[in-house]
Amino acid sequence: MHIHELNPKRTVITMVVFVVVIIVGLLTLTSPRLQYKISPSEAISLVSVANQGIDASKIDNMLSASNNPTILIDIRNNYDYARGHIASANNISAVELLSKDNIKWLEELKSNKTTVVIYGDNPLQANGPWMVFQQLGFNNVTFLKGGYDYYLKFKDAEKNNSTIPAFKAGKANYNYAEVAKVRSVGSVDTEKSTKKQTIIRRKKKSKATAGGC
Amino acid sequence: MIGLAAGLLVLPEKENYVQIDPEDLMWDAVQPTKYFTVDQVATMIIDDDPTLELIDVRDIESFNSFSLKNAINIPIDSLLSPNYEDYLGIEDMNVVFFANDNIKADQAWIIGRRMGYHSLYIMEGGLNSWISCIINPQEPDESAPLSAFEDYEFHKGASIYFTGAQLETSDKKKSVKVIRRKKGAAIAGGC
Repeated sequence: MHIHELNPKRTVITMVVFVVVIIVGLLTLTSPRLQYKISPSEAISLVSVANQGIDASKIDNMLSASNNPTILIDIRNNYDYARGHIASANNISAVELLSKDNIKWLEELKSNKTTVVIYGDNPLQANGPWMVFQQLGFNNVTFLKGGYDYYLKFKDAEKNNSTIPAFKAGKANYNYAEVAKVRSVGSVDTEKSTKKQTIIRRKKKSKATAGGC
Repeated sequence: MIGLAAGLLVLPEKENYVQIDPEDLMWDAVQPTKYFTVDQVATMIIDDDPTLELIDVRDIESFNSFSLKNAINIPIDSLLSPNYEDYLGIEDMNVVFFANDNIKADQAWIIGRRMGYHSLYIMEGGLNSWISCIINPQEPDESAPLSAFEDYEFHKGASIYFTGAQLETSDKKKSVKVIRRKKGAAIAGGC
């Protein structure tokens, strides 16, 4: 004979407690704070769009224009930021940007249709954070093409009226197949250079007064 | 019961991957540990490291004209195609993405990491670095530290390994004419 058969009330109490626990659990279940707004395949088609980002030549005009509010965020560390940054840039690291307050701020900027431009030292530094923000649905977040390094070079060239270095990303610098095909180093050279070497010999002076430094 | 069963029909199709939290993704994305240098990749290829899985995310034509040894071609736009999903997420395999430079590889990395795959890496500098560091190494300056020369020796060796170039044959007998100086007059010398 089981205990609950002796005391049927106990069974009811246990069941009620069990159900209450489950209901409380369901009610307090919260969805994660940040959620992806686009699927991975949408993210891939997004990055395949050519010519994204803001040109170094346009950023200064964008910042001064009043009709199209723009905010610049430097995602490098404090030290690099202190050594030099684009004027009016805020220094917030990529991880910090996902904090509660900053997400709220970014949501506001998004509803205000403010463009948020992030940059690091090089194109690579801003690429990951930019992609994360795009996937979180912040389509007002964009990046500075080439990053701070390229911006500096560009600025210098503009000042000195020298040629502005071309910005290239994702391009092959070499014809790989040509450069990396089977070569022979050195050994060919010795066979080619069978030219007779002519040795020029200077006549030695043999006069008594010839020496001296 | 029938009502519950009908509910199954409206349930969304379950994805066969577990996405990681955006905060974790951001954290991982800014870590320097996600890079392999070209030297590390070259060493692994030369050592026939069985855990190395090279994935070329460039398009098919570029892949056909040149790629790294044993690399698999998964163009970034077909990264999610079911044909290729078996290549990612193999236990104990280090997947190394590479492209012309860092950006495309990094994008593939972000997508892969978001989908929860582990042990994903990027070959730092991509094929541009591969050519300039491994295939066409530049001799360091005379004032460079010893380690630079050691690296240069490694790169030269690796270049020979990857291009099949013949060794420089310095032991080939060159006829060297020994020219003796003729003795001049006794007092000819200077200081």
